[in-house]
Amino acid sequence: MIHARGLTKRYGTRTAVDGIDFTVEPGRVTGFLGPNGAGKSTTMRMIVGLDRPTAGTVTVGGHPYRSSAAPLREVGVLLDAKAVHSGRTAYKHLLAMGATHGIGKERVREVIGMTGLESVAGKRVKGFSLGMGQRLGIAAALLGDPGILILDEPVNGLDPEGVRWVRTLVRGLAAEGRTVLLSSHLMSEMAQTADQLIVLGRGRILEDAPVGDVISRTNGTTVRVRTNDLGRLAALVAGDGVTVNREADGSATLSGVTPERIGDSAAAAGLPIYELTVVSGSLEDAYLTLTADEVEYRSTAAEEIAR
Amino acid sequence: MSAATTHRVPTHALTTAHIAPDARLTFPRILRSEWIKLTSLRSTAWSLAMIVLTGVGLSLLLAATMDSAGLPDGPSVGFALSTVTLGVMFGQIIAAVLGVLAISGEYSTGMIHSTLTAVPTRLPVLAAKSVVLFALVTLVGLATLLGSWAGTYPMFAAEGIAVGLTEPGFLLAVLGAAVYLGLTAVFALGIGTVLRSAAGGVATVLGVILGLPLFLPLAALAFDWVVDVAPYLFTSAGESMASIPADLPAGAEAERGAPLAPWLGGVVVLVWTGVSLALAGLSLRRRDA
Repeated sequence: MIHARGLTKRYGTRTAVDGIDFTVEPGRVTGFLGPNGAGKSTTMRMIVGLDRPTAGTVTVGGHPYRSSAAPLREVGVLLDAKAVHSGRTAYKHLLAMGATHGIGKERVREVIGMTGLESVAGKRVKGFSLGMGQRLGIAAALLGDPGILILDEPVNGLDPEGVRWVRTLVRGLAAEGRTVLLSSHLMSEMAQTADQLIVLGRGRILEDAPVGDVISRTNGTTVRVRTNDLGRLAALVAGDGVTVNREADGSATLSGVTPERIGDSAAAAGLPIYELTVVSGSLEDAYLTLTADEVEYRSTAAEEIAR
Repeated sequence: MSAATTHRVPTHALTTAHIAPDARLTFPRILRSEWIKLTSLRSTAWSLAMIVLTGVGLSLLLAATMDSAGLPDGPSVGFALSTVTLGVMFGQIIAAVLGVLAISGEYSTGMIHSTLTAVPTRLPVLAAKSVVLFALVTLVGLATLLGSWAGTYPMFAAEGIAVGLTEPGFLLAVLGAAVYLGLTAVFALGIGTVLRSAAGGVATVLGVILGLPLFLPLAALAFDWVVDVAPYLFTSAGESMASIPADLPAGAEAERGAPLAPWLGGVVVLVWTGVSLALAGLSLRRRDA
C-alpha cells in the first residue's frame, strides 16, 4: 500500500505537486495519468525517496521508504529505463543491485529469464534498444520480488508483443495481491490494464476512482436507441435532464435516462425497440475532457503528447 | 474496460523466487555491490592498467638514463625512492579521474537512481565506494611501486647503489606513496559527488593536486604567509608521505616551508580527504537525486 498525505513538491516558485492525498491499494492496478509536467514522475520519485517532499508525507507499507531495512524487497521501481550505467552488462547491473540485499545469481538469472533478456544479458547496456532497456528496468524492479511495484511508462518503446507482456505481467502481479502503480500515456492500454485511476493535472488530483466510474462520470452515459417512432419514444421518456439527439442513420442518442427506463416505457407503450445500446465512450475521451479543464496546460499537453 | 479483459496469471511463479529469507541491506553487502560495480566497468581496468604501465615504465626509463643525471656515491634510500615513486606523479592523475568517474558516471547515466533506490539512506553508498576505491587503488599502487623497485633493481645493482626493501624507511615510504594514491581517488570521489559531473569534478581535483602547487610559488612572492602554507597542500603532503624523515641535527629547526614529516603528511592528506567526503555526504543527503 502507498499512502500520501498533503504531499507537496516545489522547485523554486513552481509547484510540481500540490498537497495531494491518495492511497494506492494492494491487489489491483492503479493507473497514474496526467499530461507531461502534471507531477506524476515527481510523485513517484518522492515515494522512493529520490526527491524530498517540500511538505507532507508519503509512506510505503506504513513507513517512509528510507526507513526500510530491505527496500528492494518492499518496492520495485522503474522510473526511467536509463537508470543503468551504460558501460556495464545487464547481468552485472542486476548482480550489483541485488548484492546490496544479498540477492544472488539465481534470482538475477530468474528475472533475466522472466523478462526475456537471456540473449543480451552479457552485453553492455550501451547497445540496448529502448525496448531492451525497458525490459532491463522491469527486471530490476522485479529483482527483490517486491510487494509494491511502481512503473513509470513501462511500455514506452516496447513492441506490441512487449506491450501485451507487460499488461499480462502487471495484471498477474496485482492478482497475486501486490500493489501496482503504473503510469502511461497510452489510454487504450491503461483502460485494459488498470482497475483504479488517479488523474493528475498541474500537481493536483483531478480524479481518483475506478476506471469505469472515471469514464462514465466524465463522458456521461448515453444510450443509443433505434425504434420506428422516435417522436413517441422521446415523449415517453421526456423529463428533467433528458436529451434526445437524432442521428443521421435514423437512430437516436439519449442521455440522462437509463436503458431500463427506456425499455420499460417502450414495452408498456407497445413500441418496438430495434436497438438499445449503452455507450460509455473511451478512456481517452474522458482523459482529454478531464485534462482539457486545465486550461493553462492545454497547448503544452497537446504538443508534448504529439511529440 | 478492465472488467471486460481476462486476467491471466503469468506462467512464471514470482512467489517461488530464489531469494534468501534474510535478504536485506547490510554494509558488507553494499561493499560487495560497489565492488561489482567498480570492477565491471572497462574504464576501471583501463585506468588501473595505466597506473601500472606508466608507473613502472617511467621508473625504468629514469633508471636507464640515471648516469647522465649524476649518481650517488653509494646506495641511497632517497635516490632510489625518487626513481621508484616517479610514477606516482602521473598515477595520481589517473586515480583522480577514476575517483570522479566512480560517482559522476552514475549521475550522467542515471544509474544513481537505481543505486539510491536500493540504498535510500545514501551515506552507506558513499562509504562503500570510498572503501572499495581506496583498497583497489592502494593495492594497485603498491603493486606498481614494487614492480618499479624490482624492475629497476638490476640497473641499480649494476651501479652498486641498489637499495633493498628492508632498508630503513624505504618500505614505509613506498607504502606511503601507495596510500597517497588510494586517498587521491577517495578525495576525487568526494569532489565528484558534490559536483556530479565528470568534467567539473576532474577539473576541480586536478586544480587542487596540480594547479595549486604551480600557483603557490607565485602567490608566495606577493604574500609571505603562503610559504608556511605550501607544505600543507594536498600534493606536497602526499610527497611527504612518500619520503623518508629528514635527518635534522639535534636541536635544529626545520626551515620555513620545509616538507612535513611523513606521518604528518599522511594526517594532512587524510584531513583533505575527510573534508571532501564530509561535503559529499552533506550533498548526497540534502539534495534530490
